[in-house]
Amino acid sequence: MTTSFMTTVTARQMIFAEILKLRRHRSTMLTAGVLSIGITVLYFLVIESRSNGGIPVPKALSSGSALLAMYFGSFTAMLIGTMAGTLDVTSGVFRDLVATGRSRIDLFLVRVPAAVAVALAFNLVGFAVSVFAALAGGGGSAEPALIAQYAGWVVLATTVVTALSVGIATLTGSRSLTLTAVIGWQTVATTLLYSAEFLGSLRQGLLEVALSQLRPGLAVGTHEHPGSSNALPGLVLPMSTVTAILVLAAWAVLPIVVGARRIQNQDA
Amino acid sequence: MNESSLTITTRGLTKRFGHRTAVADLDLAVPSGRAFGLLGHNGAGKTTLIRLLLGLLQPDSGSITIAGHRLPEHRQEVLAGVGAIIEEPHFHGHLSGRENLRIVAAVRGPHTFPRIEPALARVGLLERGGDRVRTYSQGMRQRLGIARCLLADPHLLILDEPMNGLDPGGILQLRQLIAELVAEGRTVVLSSHLLGEIEKTCQAVAVIDQGRIVWQGAIADLVGGAPQYDINCDPTSLAVAMLSADPTVVQVTARTDGVRVTVADPSDVSRINARLIGAGVAVSGVSPVRISLEDRFLQLTTRTGDARP
Repeated sequence: MTTSFMTTVTARQMIFAEILKLRRHRSTMLTAGVLSIGITVLYFLVIESRSNGGIPVPKALSSGSALLAMYFGSFTAMLIGTMAGTLDVTSGVFRDLVATGRSRIDLFLVRVPAAVAVALAFNLVGFAVSVFAALAGGGGSAEPALIAQYAGWVVLATTVVTALSVGIATLTGSRSLTLTAVIGWQTVATTLLYSAEFLGSLRQGLLEVALSQLRPGLAVGTHEHPGSSNALPGLVLPMSTVTAILVLAAWAVLPIVVGARRIQNQDA
Repeated sequence: MNESSLTITTRGLTKRFGHRTAVADLDLAVPSGRAFGLLGHNGAGKTTLIRLLLGLLQPDSGSITIAGHRLPEHRQEVLAGVGAIIEEPHFHGHLSGRENLRIVAAVRGPHTFPRIEPALARVGLLERGGDRVRTYSQGMRQRLGIARCLLADPHLLILDEPMNGLDPGGILQLRQLIAELVAEGRTVVLSSHLLGEIEKTCQAVAVIDQGRIVWQGAIADLVGGAPQYDINCDPTSLAVAMLSADPTVVQVTARTDGVRVTVADPSDVSRINARLIGAGVAVSGVSPVRISLEDRFLQLTTRTGDARP
């Protein structure tokens, strides 16, 4: 398959074009808004109403960022990533784009930053809501460095899950199949595998475990904070930060490699 | 024909899908600056050929040269100057026509953005360019497909069944647009099973049957040949006997209401008429037999379900 040299200008315009495709998809944007922003607002409304004198800022930041990095924001990343990975094929436009002479790899690679940018837009607004709620709730002040760490964690989680979703969606060519598989993996399979103690350190390869390990101020897997899931409080799975970063890199890069391989051989 | 006057040349082009050969040892020569028709029944191999020409499929053997460049080696530079509609134009329905063109312009390169508005204007979609494509009629989608082709400022347009779904007015507009594009020096390859449209639009054709080219050249040559005339006369037997012995008549066959004669020179017809009348044959009419493209197409090709001998 022909590969091409893409200029920076062309790459930027192709990424903007991908963003245009995504942001004009109203139902997906609405759903993403509800997941990343609406639920964050709802969460803080509920816990603020239950608290007396405000929630401590670190706790509020931790909860808000976890909502975005591990739960509902993660669903947003999956939603947008799978959309980016399948939109051209399902609409039938992919063949017309290939017929322009642009390499298939170029057409694939621009999907990743575009999807990440759109997913981040939602999750960072959600995070801004968390920060606002934490500071406005009367729970004290927050170090800017701590806010930046939590923001970085949300960015990292969103990027990895979005890239993973783009790659898998390109591989399967089916949005619904990919969403089912990725959500099922993240919510059910990960919890089951994490609890399978006989797997030992192999469980360090789980995406959610590695993400939890990098959570600011709360290294999960230590005896103080044993589980990545509150449903499994008794489990202990310590891992190094370097291992966690390598695991995340693998979860982001391998699906992209697989997706790129698939798109080269895909029937156009 | 000189290679330099050809926009597309294929040599021994072959593509198989499993045991089925979709395109077999195909030698195609498309002249530059003409409207060229690809004729064939459904499943004859037209779309497979187009997909090969656009690098969407890799041939099993043979070569493709477009504008002097070999494929797939020079695929990107060749296709930068080619606009194509394959089977039917597809778009993102949730985007407007203009936004769909922006997507393709981004892929083709920054120099193509200024062509968006002129392209929309040329196909008559300037006013509806801001509407979502899912609200477009089939004809509007076809026209938007042509506009998308024009973003490349193409020297070659490959249009696969572009008349599909168009009403008579739309067909007429498209025919005029193709004529304009050809007048600008562009080459248009038009695949269709609408023989009448090919005859009205194209100057040359290739007839494809079961993956092979069974005829290619100018349409005038395809439907031409020795002139034929139907002569309504009585008695037929006397007319057949007389004309069979006439050295200027190439062939004569009896019909229910007269005879059909093939002559080497059309000017002989009036003399033949006078001879018949002089011999006591009552001649009530003489009319030229027009061989249509459809007639020749059906003679050349195997109809669905028929086996090639």
